[in-house]
Amino acid sequence: MHENIANIENSKRAKKKEHANQSRENRNMAMMMPPRLNPTDSASGPKQHQTWSPYDNNGGTCVAIAGADYCVIAADTRMSTGFSILTRDHSKIFVISETCALASSGFQADISALQKNLDARHQTYQHQHGKQMSCPAMAQLLSNTLYYKRFFPYYAFNVLGGLDDQGKGCVYSYDAVGSYERVGYAAQGSGMQLIMPVLDNQLKSASPLVLPKRETATPLTEAEAVDLVKDTFASAAERDIYTGDGVEIVTINARGIQKQYMELKKD
Amino acid sequence: MLQSNKTEFSDSVFAREGTDRISRPRSRWIFLLGAWFRVLELSEQRVSMFLTRSEYDRGVNTFSPEGRLFQVEYAIEAIKLGSTAVGLKTKYGVVLAVEKRITSTLLEPSSVDKIMEIDSHIGCAASGLTADAPTLVEHGRVETQNHRFSYNEPMSVESTTQALCDLALRFGEGDEDSMSRPFGVSLLIAGYDENGPSLYITDPSGTFWECDAKAIGSGSEGADSSLQEHYNKEMTLEEAELLALSTLKQVMEEKVTAANVDIAKVAPTYHLYTPTEVEAVIGRL
Repeated sequence: MHENIANIENSKRAKKKEHANQSRENRNMAMMMPPRLNPTDSASGPKQHQTWSPYDNNGGTCVAIAGADYCVIAADTRMSTGFSILTRDHSKIFVISETCALASSGFQADISALQKNLDARHQTYQHQHGKQMSCPAMAQLLSNTLYYKRFFPYYAFNVLGGLDDQGKGCVYSYDAVGSYERVGYAAQGSGMQLIMPVLDNQLKSASPLVLPKRETATPLTEAEAVDLVKDTFASAAERDIYTGDGVEIVTINARGIQKQYMELKKD
Repeated sequence: MLQSNKTEFSDSVFAREGTDRISRPRSRWIFLLGAWFRVLELSEQRVSMFLTRSEYDRGVNTFSPEGRLFQVEYAIEAIKLGSTAVGLKTKYGVVLAVEKRITSTLLEPSSVDKIMEIDSHIGCAASGLTADAPTLVEHGRVETQNHRFSYNEPMSVESTTQALCDLALRFGEGDEDSMSRPFGVSLLIAGYDENGPSLYITDPSGTFWECDAKAIGSGSEGADSSLQEHYNKEMTLEEAELLALSTLKQVMEEKVTAANVDIAKVAPTYHLYTPTEVEAVIGRL
């Protein structure tokens, strides 16, 4: 399979070279290219080392739980690169509106660009329609925003939480290119593998394929959900080096938005 | 008011031109040096005519000294020539009814469509130069579908109306695919969104108003006063259908039939009545 692709690529390249030889300028360009003995050999030729990447992974974990009339969105506050901690108090949660908050892990620069983009879009939406964007509307907008950068993606793994039009809690989980799903709970980022099975065990959501459609919201009370979130973060901080320092917890309900903070291991 | 002001203004223009014409022959005697000068003189005359005569109702994007855009005002006049359209809002939904002028027995009634769907929750009735309506409606359809694509929610009726009015005012810009003159239609926009049912009216100046009940077109004055008399906010949808149709009947010259009226409702989704459904409402008159 891979060889086939490589052959096609090489024959394309060979054709391009033929074409290049037709003009003097192009021939000069070709001479500047690194010498290649035989086009078919190039796949096994000297390996090109990647010297620079536009991306970094700054780690971090995001969790959100939807309840009947609330939503809990949480993320740790550590920002790292490799074995270094860059800062212990970087918030990964972006409160977009009165009913919507976005938690993102991945590459900090991309996340901040994404947040600025969404904030600007939300501002124009408010001017045009005279109201705040609902959480489901923001969910669709985020998906489109990510998908439009399908071929140079935002290196961001998002969990969007808030209240829907009926005031029920809602959580949307995303991949980097905008595929999304409304779920009862979600975890994203470096501690995802440690936290998700615990949430599955404690909250057990119904399969989305089950008919008739089951409620995605979890049966827990708001206080129970916050406690569960704190436990999962304390556990993830034990084993994941990219999760720690502190966890910021945002709860959204009919009363508004509340923020709280809990210390985590700093090692 | 409009008429009288306008004639006064153009009178003064001609008066000024008149004095010009009197002074010309004298100057021609002074510079009588041959036909060549005559030619020069004539072209000069044409230039000066251009400068002094001010035709503010020719340019669509030039204000008159009194601060008016005549072409927009004329477009509003064009609405008054159109067939009558009525819209009524109830707590349960909005009803639209229009008169279709079937000028010949050989005309296919279904080909005259003055009520159109913008989105599943918005419909509109047009009056005036109805050929302009599809352009506006098409714009509304694109805007509402874009909104669904971006936000996975229906666009609010007010925002849709605003989008249509934005286009209504986007004329005379001179680019390839934009309108060279104001749109000659007025729209009654009926919709149902998160705030419940609503009815809007737009005009060629890009202004819009929200109404409980409104009529546009040639019979709008009579229809409006009839609506003011008989409309109440507590009406059922069936009562609104009836009032819309009886209001139309009052201002129509021909007898009301299923062929020469269209009725639609948005409650909460758009539905254009079939001839049988129209027949049923006529039966209740």
